[in-house]
Amino acid sequence: MATTATDSALANFLAHSLELESEARERYGELAESMDAHHNRPVADFFRRMAAEAEHHLQEVAALAGHMTLPQLKAWEFDWPDAEPPETASYEALHYRMSLRQAMQLALANEHAAERYYREFANRTGDAGTAAVANRFADEESGHAAELERMIAALPASGLHLREEDDEPHMPE
Amino acid sequence: MTDAIRLKAKDYKSEVKPIWCPGCGHFSVHNAITKAMAALGIDKDRTVLVSGIGCSSRLPAYVDSYGFHGVHGRGLAIAQGLKVARPDLTVLALGGDGDGFSIGGNHFIHACRRNVDITYIAMDNEVYGMTKGQASPTTPMDWDHSKLTPHGPGVRPFKPAALALASGAPWIARGYSGNPNQIAKLIAEAVEFPGFSFLHVMSQCITFCPEQTDWKAIVTESEAPPLADADEAAKQFLHEDGFQTGLLYREQRATWPPPGATAAEEGAPGKLAAAFRV
Amino acid sequence: MSTRYLSIAITGAGGAGVISCGELLLRAWAREGGRGLLRKAYGPQIRGGESAALLKLTADERYTAASRYDAVVALDWDNFTRFEDEIVLDADSWVLCDEAQALPPAVVAAGARVVDVPFDELAAACHPEGRVNMLALGVLGRLLGLPATTLAELAGQKLAGKPRDYRDAATACIELGAARDIACQLPVPPMGNKGAWYLSGNQAAGLGALEAGIRFVAAYPITPASDVLEWMAGGLERVGGQLVQAEDELAAINMTIGAAFGGVPAFTATSGPGLALMTESIGLAVASETPVTILNVMRGGPSTGIPTKSEQSDLNIALHGLHGDAPHLVLAPLDIADCVFTTGWAVQLAQRLQTAAIVLSDQFIGQSTAIVSEPRRCAPFAATPAQDPGEEGAYLRYRLTGSGVSALVTPGDAGHRFTADGLEHNEKGTPSSRQSDHQRQLAKRQDKLTAFDFGGDWAQIDGDGPVALVSFGSSAAAVTEAANQLAESGVATRVISLRLLAPLQTAALAAALEGCSRVFVVEQNHGGQLFHYLRGQLDFGQPVHSYALAGPVPLSPENIAQAVATVIAEATRS
Repeated sequence: MATTATDSALANFLAHSLELESEARERYGELAESMDAHHNRPVADFFRRMAAEAEHHLQEVAALAGHMTLPQLKAWEFDWPDAEPPETASYEALHYRMSLRQAMQLALANEHAAERYYREFANRTGDAGTAAVANRFADEESGHAAELERMIAALPASGLHLREEDDEPHMPE
Repeated sequence: MTDAIRLKAKDYKSEVKPIWCPGCGHFSVHNAITKAMAALGIDKDRTVLVSGIGCSSRLPAYVDSYGFHGVHGRGLAIAQGLKVARPDLTVLALGGDGDGFSIGGNHFIHACRRNVDITYIAMDNEVYGMTKGQASPTTPMDWDHSKLTPHGPGVRPFKPAALALASGAPWIARGYSGNPNQIAKLIAEAVEFPGFSFLHVMSQCITFCPEQTDWKAIVTESEAPPLADADEAAKQFLHEDGFQTGLLYREQRATWPPPGATAAEEGAPGKLAAAFRV
Repeated sequence: MSTRYLSIAITGAGGAGVISCGELLLRAWAREGGRGLLRKAYGPQIRGGESAALLKLTADERYTAASRYDAVVALDWDNFTRFEDEIVLDADSWVLCDEAQALPPAVVAAGARVVDVPFDELAAACHPEGRVNMLALGVLGRLLGLPATTLAELAGQKLAGKPRDYRDAATACIELGAARDIACQLPVPPMGNKGAWYLSGNQAAGLGALEAGIRFVAAYPITPASDVLEWMAGGLERVGGQLVQAEDELAAINMTIGAAFGGVPAFTATSGPGLALMTESIGLAVASETPVTILNVMRGGPSTGIPTKSEQSDLNIALHGLHGDAPHLVLAPLDIADCVFTTGWAVQLAQRLQTAAIVLSDQFIGQSTAIVSEPRRCAPFAATPAQDPGEEGAYLRYRLTGSGVSALVTPGDAGHRFTADGLEHNEKGTPSSRQSDHQRQLAKRQDKLTAFDFGGDWAQIDGDGPVALVSFGSSAAAVTEAANQLAESGVATRVISLRLLAPLQTAALAAALEGCSRVFVVEQNHGGQLFHYLRGQLDFGQPVHSYALAGPVPLSPENIAQAVATVIAEATRS
């Protein structure tokens, strides 16, 4: 079957979208487990919810890509604006005592980054079909961001010295 | 690689969940190891992760392969013994800066020199995390956050890349925990490199060295091909700030032991005994 | 007293080659069917220092150090005082030396008979490259009735790599020595059966290990264990194994553990200081249930101690040196030939019980060379009923079983991946600090040793008299000899020589001591390490006495017999 320019541009876009969403899902899942291990239940639950949303979006992208042959890229062969995919929270941005507000702000930044990524992809690609899909994804991310902003606004104010604690760290080994 | 179902990175994670602090850089290395294994299509049953003791040395249990969690500082020795005895296996040794450069320092330099075909990933957070944050051999000399050395360790930190080069390591790279995909790429190259490959990962400790979150701003990524000239590399490794990442040095050197060294002689044990007969 | 053996000391300095002389003499003696032992004593110099070849030709294979010497062949007397404690002379002794050299006061005081053999002069006159040691070899060969042709042939083999002239000189000197009429009569013991073996205890231990399946050795040089490792380097090449020279003993034991984890039977050899460095990781082998065998060739301690001399003072560290509760195997070969059996047994036990085995040899049996009948071997263990590692993904590496031994898989086995751990763990191997896991795993590691049937080789028992002489390892020979002497004076003994020290077979030992009125525990160390260990393990119903004497001079059968006799005499009087 001959591959058209549209197919090729779209396939590349969808490969990136799949990786973006699956990395987001994996990462939120891991962060939730790590928060579980450190007994920060509200943040763990929130990350789990974000993982579920990423999973939901992943299924949408997968459905779109279902009939296509996508390029098989290694983790480091994707083209991201930063070190990791836009919606993937850095492991290093966490602290076990982070508040729900901080967790949501982290997620909000990720949604904005994803929106920016999809929008820029839409502007950059010369393929109208791909641009349409990318813009649609960007709109969805924007919707998530707005929802997160509403949730953040509804939260009570959190303390300023969250990382302070009275006990010393443990010596496990 | 076989036509078997292609495994994804998450398929290489074990069911044991890491107990590292949220924010710890070692999560990145764990992520990168599984990504590299997936990219290489590595056979889980023929891969062994060996470690010593420390936060980072917990890693083997988190990967779905064979593993050996040994005693403090000796992971490299266990890994080399295993690889020499079982050349068919893929062997990775893992550990931290205290484990690898202090208590295990002698094994590190000799592993560089011996050039057994294993990969060594040192996760360097410049601190002993499991014992409450004491200075390690890579801690800056004025770091005064430990009760053990309240005025800072007061001695110059090791430069692991320079140490590895001087000891004969043929493959030297550096990664940063903020960039797991780059670490994954380096691990994949390290595993495929025939010989001892040393991957030094700057891996932040959020608990004892929160100031290391600043590393993000100073880390650079090298696009240049690795150096092959030891003089040039020595100059770079002795004078750099230690935050340049990428594959920094590579040379081809014969591995030890020579391939095929263990072919048995026909009737050998009997002949050995017979030699003692008068 | 000297009817049972003939003892000859050959001493000299400055590269005279006394050790080669002793080796060639013993080899020629072996050719004729003789039995004998060669010990080597050295000054501290690496080259050119004073040396002594201490030969004991015997009618049987019970090899102890000679308590006196029938003959001393002194190629020179330089620094002879270093050996005065060991080379005891009396009026029945013969001294063959150049009379032009002044005799040491100790030799004069002993009143030994001196025969003039101007070694230097004769050798120089015989050939421009003439060697005094070859001349002495010819002289001694004649006194023992050995054919000069055999001596020359063996010397030719040994010197095969040397220049032609040099070899010719050796032959000429041997022939000249063999033709010389010496006014000296030596009590030559009878010959045994031909077809014997000629080897050192270190070689025997290496052979036992390779025959038992060892295919990986990690080595760090140390006196007096280096020659085990050197012999194994060559041996492993031939059996298809691999030796790694490690950077230190810490690496050596951990490389051994790594190879064993890979399913390749693995071994290392060391001496006291090295064993001390290895102990943390031997604990790792115990906790992770990784089979390793460590041969410890004991020398005088503590610290650097007396590296070239024998002692049995590492029993405590071998038994108790590991931190935590770390049950493991400790064995000790009883003599040079037994090094083959005991090391082979240790390897098989370690493999079967998935633990660490420490074998306590020592410098005396390790570095002495002897003529022995073909050594007994440890028969290969019957295969264990294959243990099923279970369904894929459900494997429990440290599963609690009736025997305490769990199914062991090695990397490469599909579907049974696990992480071995030195941290306390649950059955799966996942780290755990729970009371229940710790108690169960401790009990498992103990039970697998306690429940195992070690059979009858835990000790060698000779005699059934009421006086028990208990020892371990290489002391067995001196104790057996002491028992013979006691029997001559009417004291019937029961000699119990322990080969398996941990787990101590307490029930069997108690049964073996049944009916004994008195127990003597004999060992070559200062603190009575075996004595205290046995007293802690066993409720003795009879008086127990300690005979503990540190090196460097080997245990003397006469002194042991005398000490036992004195105690018995005193007990009878009171």
